[in-house]
Amino acid sequence: MWKYRELIINLALSDLKSRYQNTILGFFWSLLSPFLMSMVLFFVFRSIFKQEENFLLNLLVGMMAWRFFLVSTNASLMSIVGKPSLVIKVYIPRQILVLSGALANLIGSFLEFVTLLPVIFVILGTVPVTVLLFPFIHLFYFWLIFGVGLLLSSLYVYFRDLNQIWEVLLNIIFFSCPIVYPLSMVSERLMPYYFLNPITNLIEMFRDVMVKGTLPRLENVAVVSGFGAAIFLIGSYVFDRLQRRFAEEI
Amino acid sequence: MEAIVIDNVSKKFRIPHEKKTTIFQNILGVIRRQFEYEELWALRDVSFAIKQGETFGIIGKNGSGKTTLLKILAKVLYPNSGSVTINGKVAPFLELGVGFQPELTAKENVYIYSSILGVSRKEVARNYGDIFEFAELKKFENMKLKNFSSGMYLRLAFSTAIQACPDIMLIDEAFAVGDGAFKEKCVDKIHEFQKQGTSIVFVSHALDTVKSLCDRSVLLHNGRVAALGATEEVIASYHAMLQGTAHVP
Repeated sequence: MWKYRELIINLALSDLKSRYQNTILGFFWSLLSPFLMSMVLFFVFRSIFKQEENFLLNLLVGMMAWRFFLVSTNASLMSIVGKPSLVIKVYIPRQILVLSGALANLIGSFLEFVTLLPVIFVILGTVPVTVLLFPFIHLFYFWLIFGVGLLLSSLYVYFRDLNQIWEVLLNIIFFSCPIVYPLSMVSERLMPYYFLNPITNLIEMFRDVMVKGTLPRLENVAVVSGFGAAIFLIGSYVFDRLQRRFAEEI
Repeated sequence: MEAIVIDNVSKKFRIPHEKKTTIFQNILGVIRRQFEYEELWALRDVSFAIKQGETFGIIGKNGSGKTTLLKILAKVLYPNSGSVTINGKVAPFLELGVGFQPELTAKENVYIYSSILGVSRKEVARNYGDIFEFAELKKFENMKLKNFSSGMYLRLAFSTAIQACPDIMLIDEAFAVGDGAFKEKCVDKIHEFQKQGTSIVFVSHALDTVKSLCDRSVLLHNGRVAALGATEEVIASYHAMLQGTAHVP
């Protein structure tokens, strides 16, 4: 992989350029949807959860964290099928196509989180110093997303209705995470199972360092790294088996 | 020394009667018990070696397995059995301009295409002037590719591709592109590569070009090697086969 580093970076950058249409404004324009969505959710749920501390900030951080998963997994479905000439006409390790896409989304999401910092400052009046840790959480997140991407992109070559199924699964995962509702709503009995969801753990880690100003909890780190490693291994294995016939199926 | 050794390579394609591309169709297939497919052996027990510095032609009728073989050499397809050993850096030119993106400028595309072909950024920067001079596109380096004409597009792709300096080139037909003058430049460039000792594998229907470029050739027929040796003889047996007088295994 190392000898392909320039290719990976070039593909990731061209991905970003075309997404933001080569302008800074394009990046800010892309933020419109998560911020507006958070505003809508805030006004709808404000009265229900008004006793919750920092409901708006938690909502914003949750939405941004979710967006990384949503956007990159959706993009990864197309990362093989969408670039047929790089599969049929030339040999490059095909994992590169998934990796560069995930990398572009990592950079995008990182920048989106940076735009949250002034918002945090305005609402809290201060920015917790633990904020400096959020890029590390992003790296954990990135491995999970790369693993899921390997799985989705290779299966999509063979099963072209996977995107519809994934859309439904995304909705289920979204509502099984404490994004639009606070954790306190989840019943004590379900809590241990509830925290098996790696996205929930990631969202909590982001909130700890960005809003609460505490270090991420060890159990969250453990669940995320465990899931990340497992999904990455499964994804790599499946991808490696399926990629042998990509050029015939695409 | 051998640049490429092909040992007993076979490739089978499965062509299902009912192609299933979705989970839904697969479930339907199980319910209706539709599993029939045709087996097509695109290549069968193909063995030969290509020497270093040699220009090697692959000829044969449509559907004889030429492109499949080239794709296996390019590692795009995997053989069902047998093995391919390649010594050196391969540049597959199955198509020119792989990975070109219309929304980016010519300059950016040159860098992306080069990195796909395994050329480092430094090398591209060094050859940058040559690339645009050879393509005769110096004025257009900052223009978006979508505004290029098809001739300009191919010239840019070709000029970028030849900077790759591979040990082995895999060339599919329709490589020489553009108008007469540019075509000549392309052929000159190929001769230059031959002089530098680059091994070239050339797939074509244009027998004249094969005759003028290739030292040795192989004739494929229904996925098997029908003739192998000096280009003249192989082309002669191809003509004989087309007239139906030769015994074909």
